[in-house]
Amino acid sequence: MTITIGNGVELDRRLFAFVGNYGSGKTEVAVNFTIALSKVVKPVAIVDMDIVNPYFRCREAQEQLENEGIETIFPKGEYFWADLPIILPQVKGVLERKNGYVVLDVGGEDMGARILASLDDSLKEKDADYLFVLNLSRPFTDDVKGCLETFKMIEDAGKIRLTGIVLNTHLLLDTTPETIYNGYTKAREVAEKSRLPIRFVSIEKGLLAKLDMSQVPSPVLPLERIMRHPWDMKPVCRFGPKELTKAADLNQKNRKKS
Amino acid sequence: MDIVFQRPETLRENTTHYCPGCTHGIIHRQVAEVLDELGLRERTVGVAPVGCSVLAYNYFNCDFVEAAHGRAPAMATGIKRSRPDLIVFTYQGDGDLASIGMGEIVHAANRGEKICVIFVNNAIYGMTGGQMAPTTMPGQITTTSPKGRDVNEVGYPLRMSELLSSLRTPAFIVRTAVHTPKGMIETKNYIREAFQNQVDNKCFSLVEVLSTCPTNWGLNPNKATEWVEKNMVPYYPLKVFKRPGEEI
Amino acid sequence: MAKKLMKGNEAIGEAAIHAGCTHYFGYPITPQTEIAEYLAKRLPEVGGVFLQAESELGAANMIYGSACTGTRVFTSSSSPGVSLMAEAMSYIAGSDIPAVFVNIMRAGPGLGGILPSQADYFQAVKGGGHGDYRCLVLAPSTVQEAVDLMVDAFDLADKYRSPVMLVGDGMIGQMMEPVEFKPRKQVALPPKDWATTGCKGRKPNVITSVFMDPEVLHQFNLKLGAKYEEMKKHEVRVETYKCDRQMDLLLVAYGTTARICKTSIDMLDELGIKAGLLRPITLFPYPEKELYATAKKASKVLVVEMSMGQMLEDVERILKGEKPIEFFGRTGGLIPAPEEVFDLAKKLVKK
Repeated sequence: MTITIGNGVELDRRLFAFVGNYGSGKTEVAVNFTIALSKVVKPVAIVDMDIVNPYFRCREAQEQLENEGIETIFPKGEYFWADLPIILPQVKGVLERKNGYVVLDVGGEDMGARILASLDDSLKEKDADYLFVLNLSRPFTDDVKGCLETFKMIEDAGKIRLTGIVLNTHLLLDTTPETIYNGYTKAREVAEKSRLPIRFVSIEKGLLAKLDMSQVPSPVLPLERIMRHPWDMKPVCRFGPKELTKAADLNQKNRKKS
Repeated sequence: MDIVFQRPETLRENTTHYCPGCTHGIIHRQVAEVLDELGLRERTVGVAPVGCSVLAYNYFNCDFVEAAHGRAPAMATGIKRSRPDLIVFTYQGDGDLASIGMGEIVHAANRGEKICVIFVNNAIYGMTGGQMAPTTMPGQITTTSPKGRDVNEVGYPLRMSELLSSLRTPAFIVRTAVHTPKGMIETKNYIREAFQNQVDNKCFSLVEVLSTCPTNWGLNPNKATEWVEKNMVPYYPLKVFKRPGEEI
Repeated sequence: MAKKLMKGNEAIGEAAIHAGCTHYFGYPITPQTEIAEYLAKRLPEVGGVFLQAESELGAANMIYGSACTGTRVFTSSSSPGVSLMAEAMSYIAGSDIPAVFVNIMRAGPGLGGILPSQADYFQAVKGGGHGDYRCLVLAPSTVQEAVDLMVDAFDLADKYRSPVMLVGDGMIGQMMEPVEFKPRKQVALPPKDWATTGCKGRKPNVITSVFMDPEVLHQFNLKLGAKYEEMKKHEVRVETYKCDRQMDLLLVAYGTTARICKTSIDMLDELGIKAGLLRPITLFPYPEKELYATAKKASKVLVVEMSMGQMLEDVERILKGEKPIEFFGRTGGLIPAPEEVFDLAKKLVKK
């Protein structure tokens, strides 16, 4: 069954793994993708498989995801922020389900992708999409050579074959239409050399409205920046522990006056 | 008139602070003679330890740095990795190398750092005044083992050459002694071999030298050399433990 | 060079290379490990040397050795690791050697947690290691600033023959921002004629921190003290935000916390509450005169930190009881929210 999400993003599989280098935007793309997917099909589960880096993982968007009825699978409670490689037993369970859709947000680089190899007994029967999230403004994937080396590194470590590229070139708030156009031109070359299709381009919603889409002739996943910095005003999901229920206030002790 | 014996150029014209009968002076001289003979003085950096030889740079006439206690192999690593053209050696005692600096020496050896280590083992802490060392002999009295080293309490003396030679990385590791003329001649040859290894960019080299500490042992120099022969040599066998190309 | 999107840790690594640093010795610890990982890839590409040490003790003493040869070198760690590096830092200061340290702070004490913290202020600014030494401490609040300060750190270390430390909380290391690497300023620096590089054609150089004669050691400490006075005279860096007016409240914060305070100040503006921010960029030397003068224009002062109140003690010292000082702190990896600072500021101004 083929389904369509975003602006013409066609999907015909039930398992999607987002891989890529550190900071390529895997988590942002995976969370947006999962939310878009859950608006079209049910049930949808997302697995935070980032055991490499404990900052900015998709588990931080737990509330936004669960509000959409998405099942979230990652360590909760005390181990939420743990700097430990924890893979829950539920992960294998969800991978072996016969129905429903699953999104895997995999950790960065070959180190992060290695986890896929450790689960290959559950994955090998599955018809999965392995999508490489590519930001051409990032070190080590800023030219064709770097991209091809990285693809191979991740395929080798994860014992997978990539099925496509998700183009996510941006410079956060400094992104201009040219960032997107130039990125697209370069990505075409990467796609040609690697023989991997550009499956879709992810573009922040505000910027998307200003673009000449004839220069970006691919399906688009409109992106809402979900993972925000602690100083951003009224964010969807600000980085850091959310609830201070247990934390006593450390302040407001009147200090000595002169 | 022919000069048949003189101060090596690599030694300064200073009187050392070492006690009568201490063998640091012999070992210093041998290192200096080797550096002279191999023509290395002008591209050598020595690393002094914390211990009796903390002021070694006052006696060696080449560039020197002074490391924190036990860290000489780490510091030597930093120097050698920055300037592979330099000849780098550490000069360490048993407390420095085998106790507080155990981590640094094991890993420097295991990485195969192309440095030379002169390891002076006199079975006691000299600088701080005669405390128990990791190489103190069973039953040996020190200020911190007043009833003699009790191996049930603190374990047996560490045999560093044996320990380091168990590493897979190629290295030159030898134990020698300077309490006899024969031992002195052999020691100098081993020191030369160690520096030659470095010149040839071959391997990590460690020369463990059994040494004396008459002051803290409470023995006169003659008795101290006898003590080495009688007590140390049986426990610390003198031999080449490892040479590159002769791996386990 | 086109802008790149970089994580703070990667950017710090690249900035070091940009500054001519050729050697890095380090040991993994979250949340700064990407510095090591980045340099493990990058340094060999530029002919440099990356080495993973056996411990932070090893790493810090390796940079000590490397720096003795006049090499531009640095190491990085996070709080527990920096405690282990304190030994070498004291030796480096005690032998007048330039070297750069980076601390991407995590929550402590002990093993603590991996989330952001500013609880190593005392360690960085007041010592850490033993003896009468100081470290020039730089505290960026953006990734771009981390890049610029990291480049300057090497020049400052060489200029003063002193350890220089860049401190960032975990956010600075982990967050991504677009950065550019500007052409380097050419700074005239003293020759490294003290380096131990073999004594060909000169007298041997000796680098040591041992002084057997108390009077000589005293003289050396006086010399170090004079060096720190020079830093106070020439190296103070500070940013002020909305301080060019009479203020109901002056906020004092650095690093990530300062950015949060800026958001709070903008929120307060909408209510007509005039607040400003003083952000020290150098934590040592501290912007003492600047703080004193700016606080004159404010009714109250609020110090915000991710700690139990460490920089607070400097603010109290400098303002000498002339202004009421309040404190807001979060620890454990909790990050103050702009709304929290905003709410507290409102209360304080009303009082």
